[in-house]
Amino acid sequence: MSFNAQLPSISPAKAAPDVAALRLAARRVRATCIQMAHDAKHGHLKSALSCIDILVALYGGFLSVTPDHPRDPGRDRLLFSKGHAVTALYAVQALYGYIPPAELDDYCRTGHRLPDHPCRHALPLLEMSSGSLGYGLGIGTGMMHAMMLDGKPGRVVAVLSDGECNEGSVWEAAMFAAAHSQNRLLAIIDYNGLQAVGRSAELMAPTEIAEKFQGFGWEARTIDGNDLEHVTATLADVPFSSDRPSALIARTRSGAGVSFMENDLAWHYRAPSAEDLANALAELGVAPLHRERRP
Amino acid sequence: MRRAFSETLIRLGHDDPKVIFLTGDLGYQVFDGFREAFPNRYLNVGVAEAQLVNCAAGLALEGWRPLIYSIASFLTGRAFEQIRLALGYHRLPVVVVGAGGGYSYAQSGVTHHAQEDLALMGLIPGLTVTCPGGPDEISALLPQLTRLDGPSYLRVGRFGEPAVPGSAPILVGQGRLVCPGDRVAFLTTGAAVIPATQAAERLAADGRATAVCHFHTLRPFDERLLAEVAGRADILIVAEDHGLRGGLRDVVSRWLVTAAHHAVRSRLRLIGVGPGETLILGNPSLDEVMRRCGLTPEALTETGREAWSTLPNR
Repeated sequence: MSFNAQLPSISPAKAAPDVAALRLAARRVRATCIQMAHDAKHGHLKSALSCIDILVALYGGFLSVTPDHPRDPGRDRLLFSKGHAVTALYAVQALYGYIPPAELDDYCRTGHRLPDHPCRHALPLLEMSSGSLGYGLGIGTGMMHAMMLDGKPGRVVAVLSDGECNEGSVWEAAMFAAAHSQNRLLAIIDYNGLQAVGRSAELMAPTEIAEKFQGFGWEARTIDGNDLEHVTATLADVPFSSDRPSALIARTRSGAGVSFMENDLAWHYRAPSAEDLANALAELGVAPLHRERRP
Repeated sequence: MRRAFSETLIRLGHDDPKVIFLTGDLGYQVFDGFREAFPNRYLNVGVAEAQLVNCAAGLALEGWRPLIYSIASFLTGRAFEQIRLALGYHRLPVVVVGAGGGYSYAQSGVTHHAQEDLALMGLIPGLTVTCPGGPDEISALLPQLTRLDGPSYLRVGRFGEPAVPGSAPILVGQGRLVCPGDRVAFLTTGAAVIPATQAAERLAADGRATAVCHFHTLRPFDERLLAEVAGRADILIVAEDHGLRGGLRDVVSRWLVTAAHHAVRSRLRLIGVGPGETLILGNPSLDEVMRRCGLTPEALTETGREAWSTLPNR
């Protein structure tokens, strides 16, 4: 039996999530990202690893979208605004059938569909291209407005980084969303605490980010974003309010899941060596999606 | 031009149910008609240019046809990256409308002077750049822009400008020969077409038939018409209310050194009239700015006379 057969398939949005299966899926995605970063000699691993549990929870049950109809007008839209963490997105999309797992070997290869930052021209199933921070939430508010005008049923989920919240455009979008009572808009902040060359707490005013969103008219909750039990339980409560947009502050660990990558600024840019890869895969105890066996 | 814009917008609202108008908190009373007719398709996003662009991108991704409106200098400058990425990179059909183009807001100061808008928008691959000379051109170009597959820029002036003379069709990407002539030609974009035409009339009265060739579209640029005018002329006078770089003078210069036939290149002289690289300080009126820039009918007539006086006999 191939490893993939044990992985959860797309479950109906309202079914109770199988947290154990999601945890296994997240481990496998972590192994996949590290393999991709090793092979491409590139990848923002610290930022990718921190948001994997969120993405697995989203694709593994929360989002109403299927690989067979990725453009269904009634779908939920996922805007991956922290584009530098794209290995996590590609790997999760491969896990849930949007990208053939074998294609993950094309990551960062010239002329292929999986460039270093997600490009909608290369991979049309993406809702947007990203790479420059501060776009996803604003574009999401426009999509949400269109869906409200068109009477479309879906939700819009934007995944942002904490460093991204340095950008004024995030707060321009936050104001707009609250002014228009966009209660089907969900912003998930992957708050891993580390930016490219500094710590978020030192770079932003010392108020809780949840308070900032609340001050802008959102309903916000703060959770442990690497605890899938906590993530899925909180997502089940979305929308947090009947007339406000929802902000989920996911307190995560940068480099989460691999002990020697956690909370270390070096892994923002560093690519894993063969030894790093072997150590990481041994610690995770699973093979990457595009490799049948552990090395 | 602004009246023509708001009236055309209402017409567009009736013609296309997907047209939606977003403003960055500007246009007091100008869009009341549109707002009353289409309350769901009027959206004030506030003084937030980045959000104005990104929100429009989201709407366009869902199949809407947004027009976004703010002061030209703010929208093209502050939201440049949003226009480049959310609209240009995504190739979305959004019309970026810059009001108060050139020195329409002369007395509001440098913050409000839009002398770089055409240059900035011209930097973005695939973005159609238009700079109409009068209300008639706004009315004709706007519906064409909303039907494009990609993003576009429309510079809108102030209230009360006259129509651009001449009967040449007004089509995106096509220049207009406003006034025929031969050895000296004015090339214009935007509001400069009006004083240039008046100057050409005075020169014609002196027996000097001076052409006025107007380019309301800088991209795609009508090289065919330019080649036609340049083939007859010895001196081209480019008149524009835009800085030295990235406007019509740049487009014509580029054509001259890369595309023009050698015989044309060696014969032609290019004269630029406009603000050059100066900041307009000192709170001058629009008329005074035009005087300082040499863009009044009198100054352009004088520039034309000097040009004619230097011509060698053929």
